[in-house]
Amino acid sequence: MKNDSGSLLKVDDLRVYFRSYGQTVRAVDGVSLKVGRGETVGLVGESGCGKSTLGNAILRLVDIESGSLDFDGTDISSFAKRRLTEFREKAQMVFQDPFQSLNPRMTVGRAIEEVLYVHRKGDRMERRRKVAQLLEAVGLDASFADRYPHEFSGGQRQRIGIARALAVDPVLLIADEPVSALDVSVQVQILNLLKDLQKNFNLSFLFIAHDLAVVRYMCDRILVMYLGRIVEESPASELYDCACHPYTEALLSAIPDVDRSLSDKGKQARIVLSGDVPSPTMVTPGCPFHQRCHRVRPECKTNVPVFREISPGHFSACHFAEELMGKEDAGFRIPDAG
Amino acid sequence: MFDVPETAMKNPIIEVKNLGLHFGPASRPVRAVDGVSFSIDEGETVALVGESGCGKSVTALSLAKLVSGSSRYVSGSVMYDGKDVLQMEESELRWLRGNEISFVFQEPGMSLNPVFRVGSQIAEAIRLHRKGVDVHDEVLRLLQLVGIPAPEKRMRSYPHEMSGGMQQRVMIAMALACQPRLLVADEPTTALDVTIQAQILELLSELQKQLGMAILLITHNLGLVADVAHSVNVMYAGRIVERGPSRELLRNPEHPYTHGLLAAVPRLTGSVGRLKSIDGSVPHLAQLPSGCKFHPRCPKRKPDCEGVEPELRESGENRAVRCYYPVKQGQHEER
Repeated sequence: MKNDSGSLLKVDDLRVYFRSYGQTVRAVDGVSLKVGRGETVGLVGESGCGKSTLGNAILRLVDIESGSLDFDGTDISSFAKRRLTEFREKAQMVFQDPFQSLNPRMTVGRAIEEVLYVHRKGDRMERRRKVAQLLEAVGLDASFADRYPHEFSGGQRQRIGIARALAVDPVLLIADEPVSALDVSVQVQILNLLKDLQKNFNLSFLFIAHDLAVVRYMCDRILVMYLGRIVEESPASELYDCACHPYTEALLSAIPDVDRSLSDKGKQARIVLSGDVPSPTMVTPGCPFHQRCHRVRPECKTNVPVFREISPGHFSACHFAEELMGKEDAGFRIPDAG
Repeated sequence: MFDVPETAMKNPIIEVKNLGLHFGPASRPVRAVDGVSFSIDEGETVALVGESGCGKSVTALSLAKLVSGSSRYVSGSVMYDGKDVLQMEESELRWLRGNEISFVFQEPGMSLNPVFRVGSQIAEAIRLHRKGVDVHDEVLRLLQLVGIPAPEKRMRSYPHEMSGGMQQRVMIAMALACQPRLLVADEPTTALDVTIQAQILELLSELQKQLGMAILLITHNLGLVADVAHSVNVMYAGRIVERGPSRELLRNPEHPYTHGLLAAVPRLTGSVGRLKSIDGSVPHLAQLPSGCKFHPRCPKRKPDCEGVEPELRESGENRAVRCYYPVKQGQHEER
């Protein structure tokens, strides 16, 4: 991890609750994280784990219950509307579904220009020029500005979505599943584009995804989220060889991976979690993962594990993280039943 | 974990021959499927792989003549038990669908009727197709078979009361209600989370072993193919461009498209070098290029690729490839 002074975004003990019919959904339940300048941080987890809500909360798109959001040295958690607009010039979002995030009745040129208009950037001529620049920066032709979204393929639309996000020259991009709606052959085009843009514009990324292979390709550091909490944090290179939370282990082993399937060793390796993700309205005693955990022991049902550093830069919220760190059966092998 | 028997019984239960399916006006047809041939043996798992719009889903639906709308079959046949499905009467099709061939689709939430309890939806299939069974007991047995806990209680649930994984189990129970010989699974796990996806795959391969049915798996996920399928057909722009036993094909892809797809998938192991993407995007089926349909995106194209389209040719034991300049073994660059 980079040093503290270098971090651009600092989230501390953030909570986002939704209330309905007397129930409370703890969508984000005490999350702390940092994103350094020029760093790509990955956030992975299954649907419903709160990863998108966390991304939205950082941009203040949903109300936060408690916790602090520190961006570039300023606390933005209490900003009112006008200052939020200023903040959002610095931090922008790329959304998942390029079919739903573009207005079908607006030419893409106008859609991109709208961002500049909202943020009162330049006059009409300058905005037009900027739109052309942006289209070219994301690998499209400047003449596409006069076309409508339906004329473009999924990959091209996602490029337009990225151009919109880049319009105000942000320093932080939050990308929420930016490639999961795209075809395999197009996914890599977009991932490579994001990588290049990061280098050229010196961007910081919070990359939200459910696909651990994609995250591995993109990120320097990875956070694994389960039921509104971070359960493991690790440098990307370390997570895949030495997962220190049983949930991460299970996630890794569940992904169908060509190389692993082709090696005979890998074929025996799948950890199949029982059951579904429990409802975030319920407060489970003990470790939130214990009902589905393949390594569960008696104390997991009563004691809440502490999220702690187990090796430099590697954190885990499992009672037995230290054991997992030195485990013989690291990687994809199945643990002894017990 | 998934035991793929090395040799499935060589006894084709369904044979697709030179299938051609067009949509839209005859003057400007959308050629969704063009000259597709393949067969599925008893107890075998065959995968159809490709990106969206390559024709894999309509090919699968054609097995039970389920494609409707402004479509027409311009060529070919689907032979099941010596009869051509495409020529069958409505009454014969009713026997075929559900009884012999059944389907599991991508989004279980969209396929289940929201206003009926799941138990009665499964019961419907049993009532329609089977005589002399206790429907209630049979529904219970099926729910148990697909691993739904507390089936007695769950059969009285409505679809919205279940998670996506549970809904997909219900869909599978429904598909199995009439003991089909062939189960067509169209992206059965795409809408599900990875941990749930693993459960469903496990279930399908377990059921296949128990019931001995054949599976046609439609997917875009190559990792999944390696795990569960015996053989693979890779489709591009309405055609099969490569075919072979799954593990062999994934180890040594011969078609530049298959090769490109594999190179473009981020991996869990190995170096994190820059991945190579396939340039451009999938062509529109109404405006296909001349010659080889992949040539505008192909890194290995030569002038003659634009002329006459290559045939799907044998290239080894059980393998075939539709390319003039297939990638030969040992030519693969290091990934």
